[in-house]
Amino acid sequence: MKMEDMPLSGPDNTKLEALVHDIYSELVEDACLGLCFEVHRAVKQGYFFLDETDQESMKEFEIVDQPGVDIFGQVYNQWKNKECECPNCKRLIAASRFAPHLEKCLGMGRNSSRIASRRLASNNNTSKSESDQEDNDDLNDNDWSYGAEKKAKKRKSDKSQNSPRRSKSLKHKNGELGSSISAEAYKYSYNTGISYETLGPDEVRSLLTTQCGVISEHTKKMCTRSQRCPQHTDEQRRAVRVFLLGPSAPLLPSADTAVDNDSFDIPDGQTLLSRLQWEDSPDISPTDSASSKASTNHSDSRRPKKKKRTSLCLNSGGGGGGGGSLSGSSSSQSNISLVTKKKRPKVSAPSISSIYDDLN
Amino acid sequence: MSKESRMRATINQKLTEMGERERLKELLRSKLTECGWKDQMKAHCKEVIKEKGLEHVTVEDLVVEITPKGRALVPDSVKKELLHRIRAFLAQHAT
Repeated sequence: MKMEDMPLSGPDNTKLEALVHDIYSELVEDACLGLCFEVHRAVKQGYFFLDETDQESMKEFEIVDQPGVDIFGQVYNQWKNKECECPNCKRLIAASRFAPHLEKCLGMGRNSSRIASRRLASNNNTSKSESDQEDNDDLNDNDWSYGAEKKAKKRKSDKSQNSPRRSKSLKHKNGELGSSISAEAYKYSYNTGISYETLGPDEVRSLLTTQCGVISEHTKKMCTRSQRCPQHTDEQRRAVRVFLLGPSAPLLPSADTAVDNDSFDIPDGQTLLSRLQWEDSPDISPTDSASSKASTNHSDSRRPKKKKRTSLCLNSGGGGGGGGSLSGSSSSQSNISLVTKKKRPKVSAPSISSIYDDLN
Repeated sequence: MSKESRMRATINQKLTEMGERERLKELLRSKLTECGWKDQMKAHCKEVIKEKGLEHVTVEDLVVEITPKGRALVPDSVKKELLHRIRAFLAQHAT
């Protein structure tokens, strides 16, 4: 039985009701009085009329109540029906869809590259897979063999689209991630590798001078990290070079005999000859240029030194790790390549001592 | 009659002691502000003040003008709810 809504029964009823109403009136009066005090204080303190300015301004900012406009008087769906011509594809696009369309159309923005590479990958997959890998430039740089790629593609399409997080579970396949979606804009970095089968001997050589090049067992790809990458040892690097270029040309720019990379020992004449071979290539290995930079810092009078010691070095017949950049400064010698050879040991000697000085 | 007055006194005392009065006051104030009663009353105050003159208006003036109007303008829903709560309290605590 709901007692609350019904007046209380019995002779006390009216009295109780009266009491209830009395209490209620008291409460209301209290509220009114509170309001009066508040207003009075505001008036006396002078802040009661602060929200009222002159009539003109009041009219200006009055709330607008017309149909078709918002309370400020602005038309709110003004751009709904407008169409814009895309400067790229010359199509007429609705205004609200213009920005996303432009993103896709110009190939910029987060999703467009992803979608494009995915489309590319699926096209390649579906059309034919036996064709040259050379044709598909972006696939070249990726690690996936086609079978693995298909598997990965299926998994990718299972999940929802357009988020970089999604491919994370595929990251550790074979220890390397080379998803076909991989484009420039991704947060996580991964190791790409190159398949040595697809490269010609010159390319292999140039690659090996700049990169680690050790061939991974699972993927048969060459490591693209620097010459000093911590994942592979020098022994591995040398083995790769022997394997790829033949036993006559172990082309480690850093010294073969020394185990650690820091020292620049004088290699034997064989490596000197091999250096002569690829002296023509403009590539400078990172270690070489690094060492030459270091040497330039420490030995200011590099050039005169080189010229002085030229005769000595002809006799010594050794070449150390040195700068390929030195080739530019060679002069006054008949055989340019030979001269650059000589310059190397000169530079290396002071550089070695200076390096160790720094270490100490 | 004295019984009645004694009863009233007891009830009032209980209301205050148990904090119910404060609670009811707060409830009423918030409800009145919500429903726009307060703004209405303030607008009325403005008129009174403009009438009486800014410098010379007193609390009494305002009270006299505001209270009857205020009582009349309380919305029915608010009134009903408050009555309901007071009755409930009485039902619980009346002897």
